[in-house]
Amino acid sequence: MDELLAQFVIESRELVDKAVDDLLALEKAPNDSKRFEDVFRAFHTLKGSAGIVEFAAMQKALHCAEDVLAVARSESTPVAAVDIGNCLTCLDQVIEWLDAVESAGAIPPDADAAEIVALFARASSEPIAAGAPRSGDDWVAELSRTHAAAAARAHTALRYTPDPESFFRHEDPLARIAALPGVLAIDLAPRVPWATLDELDPFSCNLTIMALLAASPADVVTALGGESRYCELRALSQGARRSEDESVAQKAAELLEAQLHLLESVEDGHQHGRMASAGVVAANVLRHLGRTSEAETIATAAAVAIAESRVQPLLEAIAGAAHGPAAEAPLESETSMAHRRDARQTIRVSAERIDALVRLTGELIVSNNGLGHAVRLAEQEGSSLAVTLKNQHASLSRLVAELQRSVVGMRVMPLSAVFRRFPRLVREMSAELKKPANLVLEGEDTEADKAIVETVVEPLVHILRNAVDHGIEDAAVRSAAGKHAVGTITLRAFREGEHVIVEVTDDGAGIDVPKVKQVAKGRNLVAADDLAAMTDEQALDLVFLPGFSTASAVTEVSGRGVGMDAVRTAVSRLGGRVDIRSTAGKGTTVRVTLPFSVLVTQVMTVEAGGQLFGIPLDAIVETLRVEKGGIFPVGAAHAIVLRNRTIPLIRLADVLARRATDVGDDVGPVVIAQLGGEVGAIQVDKIGERLDIILKPLDGLLAGMPGLAGSSLLGDGSVLLVLDLGEFVR
Amino acid sequence: MTVQVNSEGAIELSGRCGADDAEALQRHLLAMPGVTVVWSRCEHLHGAVVQVLLVAAPPLSGTPKNAFLKTHIAPILNKKRTT
Repeated sequence: MDELLAQFVIESRELVDKAVDDLLALEKAPNDSKRFEDVFRAFHTLKGSAGIVEFAAMQKALHCAEDVLAVARSESTPVAAVDIGNCLTCLDQVIEWLDAVESAGAIPPDADAAEIVALFARASSEPIAAGAPRSGDDWVAELSRTHAAAAARAHTALRYTPDPESFFRHEDPLARIAALPGVLAIDLAPRVPWATLDELDPFSCNLTIMALLAASPADVVTALGGESRYCELRALSQGARRSEDESVAQKAAELLEAQLHLLESVEDGHQHGRMASAGVVAANVLRHLGRTSEAETIATAAAVAIAESRVQPLLEAIAGAAHGPAAEAPLESETSMAHRRDARQTIRVSAERIDALVRLTGELIVSNNGLGHAVRLAEQEGSSLAVTLKNQHASLSRLVAELQRSVVGMRVMPLSAVFRRFPRLVREMSAELKKPANLVLEGEDTEADKAIVETVVEPLVHILRNAVDHGIEDAAVRSAAGKHAVGTITLRAFREGEHVIVEVTDDGAGIDVPKVKQVAKGRNLVAADDLAAMTDEQALDLVFLPGFSTASAVTEVSGRGVGMDAVRTAVSRLGGRVDIRSTAGKGTTVRVTLPFSVLVTQVMTVEAGGQLFGIPLDAIVETLRVEKGGIFPVGAAHAIVLRNRTIPLIRLADVLARRATDVGDDVGPVVIAQLGGEVGAIQVDKIGERLDIILKPLDGLLAGMPGLAGSSLLGDGSVLLVLDLGEFVR
Repeated sequence: MTVQVNSEGAIELSGRCGADDAEALQRHLLAMPGVTVVWSRCEHLHGAVVQVLLVAAPPLSGTPKNAFLKTHIAPILNKKRTT
């Protein structure tokens, strides 16, 4: 189902539940004004959301309920019990529609508000308890009186009061009425008394158009389209007809019961006349109701009964007809209940409970890792239980992995949930900055963990702001450059392995690299020598430095002191990274790489200075072994040469122990890591294994310790400290 | 032209009379009070034009062929004239 529609169903259900509760409370305490406001708001919101998903019938039905409530509010009178009942009926209908939407995945095309409309119309045409006629509905009576013949055939009365400005909107109210289905009669009246001909403003619409139509209110609403908000509709005669039907059915049931009663006193072999007459009456009753096949069955049964002189066949046939439909009805409602149960496949669970489940799953993973450790120990000791343990551990691991996938899946949501707000945002920014730009969304169905999806909003807003503000040029500049006057910003999301990539691409001016360098120099962000040695790619990365902003003017939209460094910080907090690519004159692409899930972090363990550390796998480019003489000093620091590129090297043990040793002659494993465009080498004593861990933020004494991202418990019970390489780069 | 004064001095509405015709019609009706409006060749009347006809209530001549005008609008305009 469409995400918007799914959300609509979930929210509407909540509102309906709330409204039902409030209505019931209001029934008990009719003067509770707070309850009343709650009810009113719930109906109003429901109607609004129905409008958003273009569910015309639901909108119409709720509109009727809202009308009734609005009248009560404007007259400061308690809502009549009958109106509360009708509002509840209206909500029942809404629930049915929501079920239909959920099971079909679309708005039911045959949804018809006529019944609800008629319900409210009937209530409003009946004098209310006080005896005063409901105000505002005189026009229906008046219209029906003047067009009696049409009223007899009409299903809908319409009063259409176009707004005075409608002619300026190129609206032609009469043409709209003429185009409605089944127009039977029309009346025109002035909205306010007519001016004299010389004072008449012909372009201000002063018409009220009343019409009687053969079409149902729902069809009329559909045909009216957007103008329906200027219309009042009343369903006619259907209500009367329905109650007539009901009373006929009632009479028929009574007649059938009477025949049964008559036959029950018949003894076999006697009184053929009674059987014949009962058969004829019952058959006629059913024929009148249009149940001809049942009528035939009874006629046949009567013939059999008379021929065999046995009352039983006829008794059964009539009883079948009398109770048949009633017996079938609960069956039908049972199936619809089952259907409803199937349809309600979503339950809303509080995020806390999900998080608890996530936490427990995390503990389970850690505990399973511990079991793995125990299995290895058992194997080393040659224990006879080792094989059994190993098998059990294998199946447990599989289950834990499956659980982990399910739990991750529970927290997954499509990016469209947040992407949806961006088109409007870009529109507003583009209007404000007078830089015409369109936002194109791609791959909004891409899914990611809820925490990721929700947290990525802010960085994305900032990137989009930058794109509009700094990326897209003025229309004149664009035209001069041979580009389309309206800029295009593409927000694209896709999945790449365990990562979710979100790219913001604009077709603007691109980033002026020399200017970036100049600004960085002007603000003393980078040493002049370093600047000169920088490639364009590296220079582009300078925009992520704190304190960097090339905006020459502080605008309302961007340049509020939150730079791209904030974006990078926010993204790396999520375990992701941000890169930027730009071609002068062609545009800029900001690429945000995010982990799919925040539940599990993949790390590689390394040993340095006798202690085990974890390095997030995201950051690791490759691992290699430096041979003797591979490390050489550069000033006070060290470096290695990898594929003709000099890469600064740090020795993990030294950094953590804060002592410098001569590493020149050392050989050993080196981890090449990339962080925010910087590549660095980290020399360690030993490279360990790859682990899935649950990263826990540091607290207590270690909280705020630079260089550490968090900790995790290892299988053997020891604590693994996970490094935050970003701190090392700084 | 959809609003014209014909050779007999009557105002003739023809074809589809849009909102813009309302002002012209109003001008003609103010200039010639009591003048007959011929609308047999009229195919559609915009609400703005109908407003002018309702207020001025000129004698109408002819019957438009358009079913909507003939069935629904003509009785209203004729009723207005007689009252």
